[in-house]
Amino acid sequence: MGFDVFLPESEDELMTLLMRENAKIMAGGTDLLVRIRAGRINPDKIISLSKIQGMNEITDVGDRIRVGCRVTHSMALNSNVLKEHSPIMLMALKEIGSPQIRNRGTIVGNVVNASPAGDSLIPLYLSNAKVVIHGPKGERKLPIEEFIKGPGKTALSMGEFVRAVEFEKSGSWHPLFYKVGQRTAMAIAIASLGLLIKGDNLRIAFGSVAPTVVRAYKAERYFKRSNGIITVMDEFMERCLEYVSPIDDIRASAWYRKEVIKNLLKSAFDFWRKKVL
Amino acid sequence: MIVEFTLNGEKVKYDVRPDKRVLDFFRDELGLTGPKEACGEGECGACTIIVDGLNVHSCLMLAAELDGKDVWTIEGLKGPGEKLHPIQEAFVEAGAIQCGFCTPGMVMSTKVLLDNNPSPTREEIKKALEGNLCRCTGYYKIIEAVELAAEKLKGDG
Ligand SMILES: Cc1cc2nc3c(=O)[nH]c(=O)nc-3n(C[C@H](O)[C@H](O)[C@H](O)COP(=O)(O)OP(=O)(O)OC[C@H]3O[C@@H](n4cnc5c(N)ncnc54)[C@H](O)[C@@H]3O)c2cc1C
Ligand code: FES
Ligand code: FES
Repeated sequence: MGFDVFLPESEDELMTLLMRENAKIMAGGTDLLVRIRAGRINPDKIISLSKIQGMNEITDVGDRIRVGCRVTHSMALNSNVLKEHSPIMLMALKEIGSPQIRNRGTIVGNVVNASPAGDSLIPLYLSNAKVVIHGPKGERKLPIEEFIKGPGKTALSMGEFVRAVEFEKSGSWHPLFYKVGQRTAMAIAIASLGLLIKGDNLRIAFGSVAPTVVRAYKAERYFKRSNGIITVMDEFMERCLEYVSPIDDIRASAWYRKEVIKNLLKSAFDFWRKKVL
Repeated sequence: MIVEFTLNGEKVKYDVRPDKRVLDFFRDELGLTGPKEACGEGECGACTIIVDGLNVHSCLMLAAELDGKDVWTIEGLKGPGEKLHPIQEAFVEAGAIQCGFCTPGMVMSTKVLLDNNPSPTREEIKKALEGNLCRCTGYYKIIEAVELAAEKLKGDG
């Protein structure tokens, strides 16, 4: 290790510090400190958000919810706004790490980390999230699909940070979230699936089976065209699998991941049939 | 860098190397060896401490972040008189300790659970301790210890 630590107390101070070379923001540190220790990154300045005032809002903004960059998974799990308006988010957050990880890790940290296995990303993709970016030129908002460019890659430029995420309420949709890992607690997903259904509208996303979390838009449109009545599961599944391009890694093989996705889809379908038919 | 915080109920002030992990600072400089290091990356929970009422990993926290916080390690837990804290007693009585390496972390996570939920179900206990690994006991006795601790603490109140 060996780095300087800065603890800005205001957004202005933070913005000034962000203009320095080789500086990294730290929220909960549950990704950053692990990567530094493993020698995968070597920043010489860490800018901790722990002393910033505010930036931990969870607010109801009309048809959307806004979650500030200092909101931890535990804070979100206790939020009445999220309980009422985004049950799918709670389902995903409950699966993250352990109490200790949830007490420190943040939703925005999960977003900027840009892992295809990031559990909070599934509900964010399903809820058409926008990432609120603050930088030297002011504020800009990007759809999450444009913000996350690949594993660990985002659209952030020098001097910018993520102030919040905003995403659609989905309280009137039926949520479903499945995660398969090597054990139930703590494990990084081998494959995951999230689903929102309301009448003949369906949204579906997968984690850990492509370079980023993916929405299977063709399958969503197919569902709509079939008026929400799918008799041939295979047709729907085929359209989902077009988005699935898994890799072999230490956690699982590509073949296994694809099989897991097929099985998750089958379970999702059985569940949905029981619910609707 | 100067940090001022509350440690085990007492106000303290230290000059710390800001990039030191809290775990190393406590063990190497303050001699608080309750928090243990096993994985060093947030998996095992052996280094668990309580910060502002929440259980967190001291291996994933920087000394600079201690400033202004209310921090507890197992060294700060005490029962009435010179006795052990009821949670510690329960771990001893239930046989929930073998090598003892996971115990301080287990006890700290148990403390947070029981502070917030004095009568947890078995499922709630398992969920609350899912970030604390034990290679020895097989967990059953730990769960029993938490149940016993809950009884003892209710008895006290
Ligand atoms: C044991 C363990 C288990 C885990 N289990 C899971 C799991 O089950 N599911 C899961 O999804 N994740 C898991 N994680 C990963 C991690 O906990 C999450 O990704 C968490 O949400 C990261 O949040 P953080 O606040 O700790 O991020 P940090 O580590 O603080 O930051 C992560 C990255 O985001 C950047 N960053 C943070 N905030 C901002 C900001 N406001 N603006 C710009 N950049 C920013 C940092 O520079 C860094 O690059 C696990 C990690 C560990 C150690
Ligand atoms: S040493 Fe901190 S979690 Fe294992
Ligand atoms: S008693 Fe040995 S690790 Fe738990």
